[in-house]
Amino acid sequence: MSYLKPNSVAEAAELLESTGGTILAGGTDLCVYMAEGLCDPETLIDISGIESMRGIRLEGDLIRIGACTAIAEIASSEALPTCLRRGARSIGSPQIRNLGTIGGNVCNASPCGDTLAPLLTLDARFVLRSAGGTRTVECFDFFTGPKQTVREPGEILESIEVPAATCKKASAFRMIGNRKGQAISQVNASVCVAIAEGRMTDVRVAVGSVAPIPLRLEALEGVLTGKAIGDVGLAEIREPVLEGIRPIDDVRSTASYRQEVTVALIFDALTACGDQASGEGDGAC
Amino acid sequence: MLIRFTCNGRPVQIEADPQTRVLDLLRDELGLTGTKEGCGRGECGACTILLDGVAVNSCLLLAGKIEGREIVTIEGIAGEDGALHPIQEAFLDVGAVQCGFCTPGMIMSTKALLDEKPAPEVEEVEEALSGNLCRCTGYGKIVEAALEASRRLVQESDQGGESG
Repeated sequence: MSYLKPNSVAEAAELLESTGGTILAGGTDLCVYMAEGLCDPETLIDISGIESMRGIRLEGDLIRIGACTAIAEIASSEALPTCLRRGARSIGSPQIRNLGTIGGNVCNASPCGDTLAPLLTLDARFVLRSAGGTRTVECFDFFTGPKQTVREPGEILESIEVPAATCKKASAFRMIGNRKGQAISQVNASVCVAIAEGRMTDVRVAVGSVAPIPLRLEALEGVLTGKAIGDVGLAEIREPVLEGIRPIDDVRSTASYRQEVTVALIFDALTACGDQASGEGDGAC
Repeated sequence: MLIRFTCNGRPVQIEADPQTRVLDLLRDELGLTGTKEGCGRGECGACTILLDGVAVNSCLLLAGKIEGREIVTIEGIAGEDGALHPIQEAFLDVGAVQCGFCTPGMIMSTKALLDEKPAPEVEEVEEALSGNLCRCTGYGKIVEAALEASRRLVQESDQGGESG
């Protein structure tokens, strides 16, 4: 068993290629798998000490989030849109948020990951680094199944790009779990909209835990575009939501409960976006 | 691998497997058994320690990660003369202990909060303790103890300010 601690992302990519090792960032998922005997990595490549992979920076018209930025920092950063901050804040406990990273939440690719629906609604892009170079993948194209993504074995998620213009939009995140702390989402929902002359444009709605991957609800986005938030009723969004999602019964919830809750959470998030745009409620970044 | 870090204010150098959990390193190698193992999965918070000043689960922290960093455990918060920390005093005085197994973790989470925010609202205390489970269901008094500790610490620092 070996434990490698590269100092740069280039070195990490070389080590990943030469050893085929397992990437360790915050360890809040990996250490649980190790404790449960679900994995026993021959080589761990600890990327948490790579300085360039941490922090949130404004670069021209985009915000670059280092993949090893702690969930706690995402949750409290004034530089990020509300939906992403709130999604981060709903993950685990303070202890977990201090250790866990946004890159880990993304690469773990659980359908219930609470930063995933927000990143979908922010048109985020993921920068993947390998020994051969880098490529950028749209968040929309990244997830392929539960815990499955297009990331190749030799690739490291280096950073996440969020268009800075999303900070000018209204956004909100809602989730429901069994309790307030330490709860895994039974359903989560993120909404991000621009509002021009009282009407919604550039609408993004995404949900988690209701399909094998976090989903954007494009049919619903179409229904909402051009409308005033105050004119949208619960009944109106119900059909396009239910047509878009594929919830299942599992240990955390049932399909029928998830259907009802998804509709309600999206409606609530939309209302919060309306309040935000009119200067009330939970405030944009 | 030789791992060097600061533990409770003292420099430590120890030869250890970097994949060892810090929880085991503390308990089995350094004899600091105040840090408890509850679930071993990051759910219960009994193993909470401070890493560079913030609360983390030591069951999810591998030894290789603490090189060059600073750790504080429940053993490290007492005064030089061994006197209990005001948070510990408050937990005792309020009766915020039943079986006591979760208490070190509760106290470390309270310390992380009060170091950052000396006079928190009750909701902030609840949020800060949301990753610590008490199976004796004693949350009411634990929250009360954290608020009492906050009052005492604020008062202490005010008095310190006047005399200094």
